[in-house]
Amino acid sequence: MSTTYQIVVCAGIVPDPLQSLEPVTGPNGPGLKNEMVLPAVLDPWAASALYEAAHLAAKLPGSKLWLVSLGPKAKLQQVMMTIAQKVAFELVPIDGPIGGFTDAHATAAALADAIAALPGLDRTRLLLFGGWESASRGAGITLQLVGERLGITDQFQGVDQIDVREDGSFEVLERVEGGKHQVSTCAGAPAVLGWATGCLAEPRNNPQVGMANMRTLMPALQKAKPATLAANGLQYVDVHLPSQQRTTRVERDMTPEDIARELVAWIGAE
Amino acid sequence: MKPILVLTHADESGSALTKASLEAVTAGKDLAQQLSAPLVIGVIAVHAVAAASALAATEARILSVTGEAFAQARYASDAAACEALCRAADSALVLAPGSSRFARIAAGVAHRLGGVIDTHITALGGSSTVEATRWFYRQRVEGVFHREASPWFLLLEPGTQTAFTGTPGTVQVESVAVELPAPRTYVTGVRAASQGQQTIRPDAKLLLVAGAGWTKKQPDGQVHATEAGQLILGFLGNSGASLGSSKSLVDQGGEGQPVLPFLTHMNQIGQTGSTPRHAKGLSTCCHGEEPHVVGWRFIGDRRAISLDPNCGWTRGKADVVYIADAFQVIAKVNELLSVNKP
Amino acid sequence: MSVAVQTQEADAAVERQTMEIDIACVGFGPAMGGFLTTLTNAWGENPADPAFESRVAPGLPLQVLCYERADDLASGVSGVVTRGKAIRASFPSLVPAEIPMATEVQRERVLYLLDPIGASRRSATLRLGDAVLRSACSLLGVKDHAFELPWTPAFLQKHGGLVLSIGQFNQWVASQVMASGFAQIWPGTPVAAPLLEGCAVKGVRLADQGVDKQGVPADGFMPGMDVHALLTVLGDGPVGALGQQLDERLGLPAGHAHREWALGMKFVLELPPHTPEDSPLQPGTVWHTFGYPEPEIFGFLYVHPDRLVSVGIFVPSWMSDPARTAYRYLQHYIQHPALWRHLKETTLRSWGAKSLEESGLRGEPFLTGDGFARIGEGSGSTNMLTGSGVDEAWSTGVQLSEAVVELLRTGKPFTHENLAATYEARRRSSEVQRRASEAQNARNGFHGGVVRGLIGMALAGLTGGRLSLGAHIPPTDKQIHPGNTTDDLSQQAAAMLAMDDGRPLHDALMSARGWPEIPFDGRLLVSHQDALLLGGKVQAMPGFADHVVFRDTGLCISCNEKTCIAMCSGQAITLGPDSLPAFEREKCIHCGACLWNCAHAPAGTQSNIQFRAGSGGLHSAEN
Repeated sequence: MSTTYQIVVCAGIVPDPLQSLEPVTGPNGPGLKNEMVLPAVLDPWAASALYEAAHLAAKLPGSKLWLVSLGPKAKLQQVMMTIAQKVAFELVPIDGPIGGFTDAHATAAALADAIAALPGLDRTRLLLFGGWESASRGAGITLQLVGERLGITDQFQGVDQIDVREDGSFEVLERVEGGKHQVSTCAGAPAVLGWATGCLAEPRNNPQVGMANMRTLMPALQKAKPATLAANGLQYVDVHLPSQQRTTRVERDMTPEDIARELVAWIGAE
Repeated sequence: MKPILVLTHADESGSALTKASLEAVTAGKDLAQQLSAPLVIGVIAVHAVAAASALAATEARILSVTGEAFAQARYASDAAACEALCRAADSALVLAPGSSRFARIAAGVAHRLGGVIDTHITALGGSSTVEATRWFYRQRVEGVFHREASPWFLLLEPGTQTAFTGTPGTVQVESVAVELPAPRTYVTGVRAASQGQQTIRPDAKLLLVAGAGWTKKQPDGQVHATEAGQLILGFLGNSGASLGSSKSLVDQGGEGQPVLPFLTHMNQIGQTGSTPRHAKGLSTCCHGEEPHVVGWRFIGDRRAISLDPNCGWTRGKADVVYIADAFQVIAKVNELLSVNKP
Repeated sequence: MSVAVQTQEADAAVERQTMEIDIACVGFGPAMGGFLTTLTNAWGENPADPAFESRVAPGLPLQVLCYERADDLASGVSGVVTRGKAIRASFPSLVPAEIPMATEVQRERVLYLLDPIGASRRSATLRLGDAVLRSACSLLGVKDHAFELPWTPAFLQKHGGLVLSIGQFNQWVASQVMASGFAQIWPGTPVAAPLLEGCAVKGVRLADQGVDKQGVPADGFMPGMDVHALLTVLGDGPVGALGQQLDERLGLPAGHAHREWALGMKFVLELPPHTPEDSPLQPGTVWHTFGYPEPEIFGFLYVHPDRLVSVGIFVPSWMSDPARTAYRYLQHYIQHPALWRHLKETTLRSWGAKSLEESGLRGEPFLTGDGFARIGEGSGSTNMLTGSGVDEAWSTGVQLSEAVVELLRTGKPFTHENLAATYEARRRSSEVQRRASEAQNARNGFHGGVVRGLIGMALAGLTGGRLSLGAHIPPTDKQIHPGNTTDDLSQQAAAMLAMDDGRPLHDALMSARGWPEIPFDGRLLVSHQDALLLGGKVQAMPGFADHVVFRDTGLCISCNEKTCIAMCSGQAITLGPDSLPAFEREKCIHCGACLWNCAHAPAGTQSNIQFRAGSGGLHSAEN
């Protein structure tokens, strides 16, 4: 297959899902308590996008893979050390604020500027990848905005699969309502693909690969450009942790028969 | 005052609006009343007049983009259609359903109009200004906010509003012309990710969630994956429940461990999965850890069957927890249900 | 050709990847924090400075990689109070509020705790003293079975210092270092062995992955990489695999030995939201206690911001009783009336434990050699008179870093001679060294009893180390005296009883001794296993070999004390069939207590237990 792509993956970093999160309001608006010291991971959906991108790039020799990520430099390094163990990529870090309360439009502007400035970028071969959701802001709009800013009008969201054909066109499976996939064919790049979970298993960590990859990532991190994000008129009125505590009845000694009877009655009740 | 625009689209028939669209209509009507603003409803449908008949009672101005090109949900044509509707309506506030179709394009449309967008809105409030509510960090933190920028697009989370149900009638529909770019994308069909009832079905009253314990070693030291699969499918058949799963169970497939073949990532509930809305939920063989339970945010009554008396469910996350072997309990439940299906 | 010293026999046929770097750092704790912070700051003054160009990868900046076995840099659970002089010197504009759980020390108390239960093992002298205190309680101000010293001895004072959570502090330091993009810090990466050429260290070998419990290659076998480095910095703490192996290879300087240890175990508790404003537990409060739950056990209570309290005990190796049951002792400790009054409504948020090397200067190894330097607690920097180690460890890291920068700028290699002339020289002339000398004999007296120990400590503390008591300090295995139990129940019998009852050994031993049962409430007083799950979670990445290995199982079978089981902080060592201890890696929090809680060391070794390189440990989000 002679098709080659230039794949740019936009990926944010989010707090490790195992952490307890508590919102606090500071002088710059809401944030998370101890945000800078919460262990971070690559956003799970964006991570799917990255693994799919790496897989695709490997299948189509001559393709190129960039990872564009906006976050505090210190956190980016921490996360990249894990990611670099799984896949190889060229990093374009943007040193900016972390968090789910920043404005997606400003994030998209910073990402689009960074992508537009990539040396050697051929927009006719550009596939813009990212997650269709995130574990922080989760608005599901950043990627579309970046795509619009780059003038890309073939966009797909909730993608689980891409199959590239001989002629450079491809088939895409997007999640739609009712647990189904909408199947589309697209004439080819440029296109935006916002990934759901994809079909690939997470690559294993290989620290040795990671340490070798970090050699090229560290100089990029050192040169990360700072970005300040505008609020775009966004004003928070209130941010709070909902009460999650229920009064739990714990039945330790019921027989399976009794439990079954109780459950059947519960299932049948309106 | 500039009008409030509600964007809607038709279902596969092309001549009826989706339920999520009608939910957005309700929100738009309420908001128009609250702000004393005129209401405009934009309809994208192959048969716009037929689709718009459901809106007769809204007494709103109806704009439409119509034609075969809009039978397909795709970015280029849908974005152009919505852009045209927005320009025709000249609204400062645009509401739309958070359907897969509009979630794909709304941000792009907002950008084309120089506006801003917020999504996954679960409630609208405020008095003289609009305050929107949504979740952050995957249903873990709730936020209420306001935007000064205009136009402001708000994508409403399906299931959070009552669908509009006014008496249908004939309405006057103003057709808006759209110039479409040469199409590069074609929708070729819809594929079910998994078969039959083993998918997440939003209409089901009950959600059954299967955890990784189903394919772990049981007290006899053996894995009983086949039996687990039969019990789960039996329960779904008997109860009409929708099926969800924990990430760890779905992931086992990728790690070469015993799997339940009918489960895919589409079934996944939680931090990296979905957050479905059902009246009741029953968790089986799952620890009830926080990243999983965030997917239960919109489940009404929660019950869990777990062998672990210290599992997360017992700590205020479920209403009832049965410390028991799910294999035994579900077998009994299936026996009882098969006699008397609900 | 360099050779990795490995406790597992390395398979010569295994092909290993190699990597060339400039500086390999092992263990990310306060010492390494000091080292990397200082080095990063020096580089940051002028990143184009040719002194900081890599020698092994010309054109790239200096390649500095740090390896940490824990799965995250915030996973060390240890609340500390420190004078913080060296830390503040590194961060002149330090605002404690920027570091979670950090605050300035505001007020200090020293309490002598009487035994309100009567189960404590107290000598006749101590009982007499206790009786005097009780009889004159109103006169002496004894309240809640506690006597407050009228003043805090100067050597214990930390006024103006910092109350910290080491986990959070480490995270904060790491984020400062990593923000520069200069040094890499790799968590979840245990280092198995030094690469040696003769006595020169040429780098490190990372632990093999994809092996079974015994270290035999299994699915996904990935031999640990050989990382060749011009300088290897050892900061892997007192039970670090690399430090131990170097000590075995090089021996210790004449007269030095690792014979004094303690296990520090602590809870992080959350005060209830309605804590009154006049509560004595205001942020920055520091209490030091002694006398209870056993006379040998010192305790502490530090108050962090946000209603968090660290409370814990130190169980020392010189507590001769083999029933060193830290978890249960800690539960009795917090129930002492003087503490319970303030803690009874708290909630357990987190829990953890760690071994402390208390030999000080007497345990100092060779600090430098060709291609290596040692910093931090494993290099003997902890000061046992002042009861502090964090700031001292930080200082040693700073000193090494300054030395390294000097050598880089002068273009000199990292030889023994150059490192001794720069790093050792700085350390010897530092305040850390001066204070360590004062502390050297401060704790000698404890080997002759608690009262003698307290007198000795006071003498050394009040005279700046000029006066102290002499002592013969036996090896750790000889410090355990099986004959000390106050009843007829042998450890072995208690172990069997515990097995029958399904209870942990320490519980059975303590109950047999007359300690009351713990009234579990599911909130503050919870079972040992529940504590593991509540605040912290043990991480044990699959694919690594067991890091706790019993050398001579025959010795274990015949061992009556089974102290390793009683002392195990995570109940990771249990009594298996045939009276053999069984190790479960998934429960190990890497406190290292088993290493020095063995009563039967084979000749020529410190212990019948090997504590090797392992991955994971306690992972606490709220430490």
